[in-house]
Amino acid sequence: MNAALGHSGVLLSLAASVMGVVVIAYGLARSRPALARTGRIYAALVLLGAIVATVAMERALITHDFSLAFVAANNSRSTPLLYTITGMWSALAGSILLWGLILAGYIAAMVWRFRRQGADPLVAWATLVTLVVAAFFFGLMAGPADPFRTVAGAVPANGLGPNVLLQDNALVAFHPPILYLGFVGFTIPFAFAIASLITGRIGEGWQLATRRWTLFAWAFLTVGIVLGAWWSYQVLGWGGFWAWDPVENASFLPWLCATAYLHSVLVQERRGLLRVWNLSLVIATFSLTILGTFLTRSGVIASVHAFSDSDIGPLLLGFFGVVMATGVGLIAWRGDRLRSPGGIDSVLSREGAFLVNNLLFVAFAFVVLLGTVFPLLYEAFRGQQVTVGAPYFNAMTLPIGLALLLLMSIGPALPWRKTTTSTLRDRLAVPAWVGAIVIVACVAGGVRGLGPLVAFGLGGFAAAANVRQLVLSARGAHRSGAGVWRGLVGRANGGMVVHLGVVVIAVALAAATSFGHRSEVTLRPGQVASSDGHRITFEGLTQIRTPARTATEAIVLVDGRGPLLPALSQFGANTEEVGTPAIDSSLEDDVYLTVDALPVKANGPVTIGVTVQPLVVWLWGGGLLLVLGSALAAVPGKRRRPTDPVSAPVPAVETGDGSSGSGDATGASRPVLRRARPVVESGESGESGDDKPAQEPVPAGSP
Amino acid sequence: MVASDDAGPGVTTRRRHTARWVAGVALVVGAALVALLATSPPQTVTEVDTPLVGQSAPAISGPTLAGGSFALGSLRGRWTVVNFFASWCAPCQQEQPDLVAFAYAHRSPGDAALVGVVFDDASSTARSFMRSTGATWPAVVDAGGQIALDYGVRGPPETFIVSPEGTVVAHFDGPMTNASLDYWLNRAQGGRG
Repeated sequence: MNAALGHSGVLLSLAASVMGVVVIAYGLARSRPALARTGRIYAALVLLGAIVATVAMERALITHDFSLAFVAANNSRSTPLLYTITGMWSALAGSILLWGLILAGYIAAMVWRFRRQGADPLVAWATLVTLVVAAFFFGLMAGPADPFRTVAGAVPANGLGPNVLLQDNALVAFHPPILYLGFVGFTIPFAFAIASLITGRIGEGWQLATRRWTLFAWAFLTVGIVLGAWWSYQVLGWGGFWAWDPVENASFLPWLCATAYLHSVLVQERRGLLRVWNLSLVIATFSLTILGTFLTRSGVIASVHAFSDSDIGPLLLGFFGVVMATGVGLIAWRGDRLRSPGGIDSVLSREGAFLVNNLLFVAFAFVVLLGTVFPLLYEAFRGQQVTVGAPYFNAMTLPIGLALLLLMSIGPALPWRKTTTSTLRDRLAVPAWVGAIVIVACVAGGVRGLGPLVAFGLGGFAAAANVRQLVLSARGAHRSGAGVWRGLVGRANGGMVVHLGVVVIAVALAAATSFGHRSEVTLRPGQVASSDGHRITFEGLTQIRTPARTATEAIVLVDGRGPLLPALSQFGANTEEVGTPAIDSSLEDDVYLTVDALPVKANGPVTIGVTVQPLVVWLWGGGLLLVLGSALAAVPGKRRRPTDPVSAPVPAVETGDGSSGSGDATGASRPVLRRARPVVESGESGESGDDKPAQEPVPAGSP
Repeated sequence: MVASDDAGPGVTTRRRHTARWVAGVALVVGAALVALLATSPPQTVTEVDTPLVGQSAPAISGPTLAGGSFALGSLRGRWTVVNFFASWCAPCQQEQPDLVAFAYAHRSPGDAALVGVVFDDASSTARSFMRSTGATWPAVVDAGGQIALDYGVRGPPETFIVSPEGTVVAHFDGPMTNASLDYWLNRAQGGRG
C-alpha cells in the first residue's frame, strides 16, 4: 500500500517533469507561447507527486511498515516518534526524496511568482531547466535510489532503527531539511542564469529578480551549516564543531560562491558591471551543490557522513559534468558578447571592494576545493594515499579570513565609484580606534598570540564599522520621520547585521581554536579535580533505562553547577555504546565533558574527558545574528522600487558594442528596441550609478 | 571550477574573447576533475599469508576508547572483523568511512561485527579520530602493544577476519573497502559450505 502509493507519487513527478521538458521545449522551438506557459501545470503535478511520495514515506515510517526496505533499515518499533519522522532523511534514498520534495516546492513557487510572465521565453526556459533537474532527481528515485523498494522475502517483525548517532539529538529534525532548503534553492537562480544565457537577454535584470531567491537559499544554507556544526559539537563527542570533513566542505563551497555572488550582484545592480561574472558565480554555486552531493553520496572521499554510502555516485558525477559543461559552454558562447562595457574607476571604491571581496571568496573556495580533492589528485599521480587535515585548511584559510575581516571593515565605508583618503579617514577613524582598543584590552587581559590578537582587533574594527553604518542609517531614518526601525531593515542594513554575525563567529573561531584545551581527569566518586581553571566534581554513576536508550551516566558538577551528565549510551538493543557528551556553556567558555573510561570494578575511578574552549557560545550567537540579518534584509527597505523585470526581448547585440548578430536560440520575436532597465543598460556613463534613485538606503553615501 | 569573466579592474571596451578563453580553461579543468573522480582507483588491499591464518585468534580484551570494556570471546558465534588502526596513519583515515559504512550495513543482530584495536596511538587522539568520523564500533586500547604483537601486526591498517568459531581465516594489509570486506566475508562464509 505505502509502496504503491510512494511509487505512484515518484512516477507522477518523474513523468510530469519529463513531459514538461518535452512540451516546453517544443513550445519554445515552434514559438508557441501557449505551450511554453504550460510549465505551471507540470510544476503543480511534480509537487503533487512529491507530496504523495513524502506522505507515503512518513506514513510507512509512523506505522512501522517494515515491508519497505528503507523503513526496515531506518526505523524500529522502539524508535521515538521524532526520530521516526526524521528517519526519512537518515539515509540516502529518503534524503533524495526530501531533496525532490523541496525542489518541487521551489519550482512551484517559482512558476507561481512568475505566473504573469509564463509565456516569456526566458521564464519558459528557466522552468524547463528546473524540470530537467527535477527529472534527474525523480529519475534517481525511480531507479537506483528507490526509497520504496520492498524487502525481499519475509517482512521482518522489527526494523534496525536509524544510525545511533542520529537518534541522540533533536537537531537532526532541523539540520538536514534546512540545509536542503539552501542547497536546492540555488536551482532557481541557476535556471534563470541558464535561461538568460540561452536567450541572450542578460541585461534585463532577471538576475536581480532572482537575487532574492539566492538570498533566501543562502540564508537557509548558512543556518544549515551552523546547525550542522552545532550537531557535530553536541553529539559526536570529540569536542569540535568543524573538522574540514569533505561533506562539511561540500556545503561550505557553494556557500562561499553564493556569498561572493550576493556581493558582486550589487555591483551589477548599481553599475551594470560584472554581468558575466555574476552568471558564472550562480552556475558555479549550483554545480558545487551537485558536486557536494556527489562527494557525500558516493564514498569517493572519506567523510563522517559515509554511512550513506551508495552506488548513485556515477549518476551524480555525470549530472555534475553535464551541468558544468552546459554552464561553461553557454558562457563561452555568449560571454564575450554580453560583457558589460566600462570598468571600475578606482580600486578605492565600493565596487573595488566588492571585487577584492570576490577574489578573496573565490580564492577561499579554491583552497577548500583543492584540499578536498587533493587526496584523489595525489593518489592518481603518485599512487600513494594521503589525507589533507585541518592544519592545511587552517593555515590556508586563516589569512583569507583575516583579509575578509579587514575588507568587511573598510568596504561598507567606501562610496561608489571613488573616494578620497580624507573621506576614508573620517569614516574609519572611530572603528580603527575601537579595533586598537580591543587589541590593547586583550593584551592587558592576558591574551597572547599574534593570530588571535589580529583576529580580535580586526573583529573590533569590523564590528565598529558595521555598527557605525547601522547607527547612521537609523539616525537618517529617524530624521526623515520614518522611524528608527526603518533604518535597520532592507538589504544594506540587514547585510550589516549579517556582517556582525560573521564577526562574532570569526572571533569565536579564533578564540576556540587558539585557546581551547583538552585534558582528562580520573576521579573516584566524591573526588574533585581542577582543569583549566574549572573545578570538576565527580559525584557518582547512575544507570538510565528508557525504551529508546540505555545509558551509564556520570554525575559531574562544574564549579559547583550542574549536574552535568556525560554518558555512555546504547540506543536500542544490539547496538554499540556511544559517548554522549555533556556541556556546561557560559558566555565566557564551554566545559565539554565526555566519559572516556568507565571503572573496571565497582567504585573504581572514572576517566572524564574535559575540553575547555572559550567563546563557543558566540558561534551559535553569531549564527542567530546571521538569521536575524537575513530576515531584516528580506524586509523591503525604504525607497525600494518594485522588482519587475519584465520587458520586451533585448537582443544580445544591444548590450554589447554592436558586434555581429546573435544566434538567438529562442526563436522569440525579434528585437523591440525598448530599454528595459536603465540599471544595466547604462553602459559606462559613470553617472548612472549615482544619480538614479538608490534601490536601498545606502548609508555610506549619505553621512 | 569557477568559470569566470575577466573580473579584473582593467576590463576594457575592446572586444576580447576573455570569457571564451576562461570558459575553455574552466571546461578543461572541470573535465579533468570529473575524469579524476570517475576513475579514482579502488583502494588497494592485499591478502597476506601469515602463520596465524587457520589458527585460533589470539585473545583481545581490555578497555575500549568509548569507556567500556571488550573481550573478543563475547563475539564467539559471529563473524568478526578485527581492524588495527591509528589516527596518524593516512590509509587508516582513508578506510575509516568504508568501515563506518560496513559497520552500519552489518548492524543487525548476529551479523558480522567490527572491532578496532588501537595501534601505537594515544587514547585521546584515537578517541577523537573515532568520534569525529562517527565510528560506533568498539575500539580496544592495546596498552603495551601485546595484542598487536600476538597478531603479528607491523603497521596499520591491518585487518583480520575471524570465524564464528574463533579461527583467523584471512589477514589483509592496507586499507579495506566496504566492498572488499563484503567480498572476503562472503568468500570465507561460502568456503565453509
